[in-house]
Amino acid sequence: MALLVDIVMSGLISGSVFALLAIGFSLIFGVARIVNIAHTAFYMVAAYCIYFATHKLGLHPLWSMVAAIILVTLLGIISYKLFINPIREHHGAVLIATIALAMAFQEVMGLIFTGSYLSVPKLIKGYHVILGVKVFYQQLLTFGAALLILGGLWLLLMRTKLGLAVRSTAQDREVANLMGINEARVAMMTMGLSVGLAAFTGAVVVPLTVLEPHMWMHPLIMMMAVVVLGGLGSLKGSFLGAYILGFAEAMVVFLAPMGAFLKGSVALSIMILVLLIRPEGLFGVSFEEER
Amino acid sequence: MLLEVANLSVWYDKAMLINHLSMGVDTGELVCLVGPNGAGKSTLLRAITGLVAWEREITRRSTHGEIALEGTVTFDGERIDKIPAHEIVKRGLILCPERRRPFREMTVIDNLMAGSYLLKDKNEIQQNLGKAYQLFSVLKDRSNQISGTLSGGEQQMLAIGRALMSRPKLLCIDEPSTGLAPLLRTEVFQKIGEISKLGITVLLIEQEVSTVFKLSTRNYVLSSGKIIAEGTGDQLLQDEVLRKTYLGL
Repeated sequence: MALLVDIVMSGLISGSVFALLAIGFSLIFGVARIVNIAHTAFYMVAAYCIYFATHKLGLHPLWSMVAAIILVTLLGIISYKLFINPIREHHGAVLIATIALAMAFQEVMGLIFTGSYLSVPKLIKGYHVILGVKVFYQQLLTFGAALLILGGLWLLLMRTKLGLAVRSTAQDREVANLMGINEARVAMMTMGLSVGLAAFTGAVVVPLTVLEPHMWMHPLIMMMAVVVLGGLGSLKGSFLGAYILGFAEAMVVFLAPMGAFLKGSVALSIMILVLLIRPEGLFGVSFEEER
Repeated sequence: MLLEVANLSVWYDKAMLINHLSMGVDTGELVCLVGPNGAGKSTLLRAITGLVAWEREITRRSTHGEIALEGTVTFDGERIDKIPAHEIVKRGLILCPERRRPFREMTVIDNLMAGSYLLKDKNEIQQNLGKAYQLFSVLKDRSNQISGTLSGGEQQMLAIGRALMSRPKLLCIDEPSTGLAPLLRTEVFQKIGEISKLGITVLLIEQEVSTVFKLSTRNYVLSSGKIIAEGTGDQLLQDEVLRKTYLGL
């Protein structure tokens, strides 16, 4: 039973983290067809911002998080304006540019904070014992905050005018123009939203993890696996796929502790298996190129 | 003139799709563009509504060839050929595009709301929605259905309804009858007639000459990017050569 609690908690947390990352990644891909490899690098930068603000500036962790999310969102919009927007129609170039961006962030963080492992204090301390397993309040907070933000995002997309513009542009950007939607501006705002989500993920996850300049790589691979598993461009698919892979990882780690290093491979194997049966992913839409 | 196109030319790479074309539409008219495939009818509407210029900006930033655009388009006394597509809609000129193109994964009501994206006044939006529902009652019954699952005829009604949600002065419709069963075509044409009676000026592309000439106040015949004839349906039908060569009658 204790094992079950461990698996559920760990699965829920990694699932939520993957869901936040994958949905942000899917959003900007859906709206502007940008494959943003630097997505999780923004998540890393946010985590370092929080470390800097709490340890070097002495800010309360909560304020550090708010500051980090705002700063990284701005950084995302600036990067979009400078590096991505000018080459937006060259999909291959965008891919390469975002890889370069991610590496640049990695190196800059390495230079400033060195490559050593760092950590950030938990927002709330303490734990509750369920069936002999310590469940830290921070874990529950991370999970709760993730769900809250996903709920908020859903409301934003489904109930507001900006959401309508984002969804319309993702469906057909040419026709979106005809509705009076400035698709270039929507793309920029979606980039802000997407990077904001990555920053938020970094903020809620940083107390549970260690900081180092390569911390963006594993989430990147998992996030891409989630997106492909769920179906490119489908937010619902990303959400479900995230928890599937989150639980798969947790099960490997807790059921076969000796094989914990295999957690990534198991998750990716699940993705490959699903793709063999459903090449478009769980909720994939077959893209119809419009001209 | 509500819409005036002067000396318009459009090139896609080396191909000249519109060749020094001039035309106009007066307030209250229902003007029809006819002509063979590849005559440049759709390109003309896309150029008028700013989509060609938008596409040119995109291709300029990519490797997919080149688009050039020359000439002037005036709408309601204002030159609009330098204004981005999403700004043109604000001025009351809207295109209901070829192949209908609803936002397929969105509900009918969301599609209609996207149509009134630029309107701020909630009452006005509700009023327009009421009018659209009155004209196309099927949309009201299906308001929460995902639009990709509608039938072709319903999707066409949705596309026209969506365009009407912005309260246009001039509504351009590109081949509304394509791919529809004969009965539905008749219904679509009847609806277009009703829209025209509501006081909205209509510029229509249509291949089905026999039906549309009964509806239109004036027509242009296009071929190879040029206007080769202009007149009422009866006038055009009297010309034997035109009838056989371009109208397929």
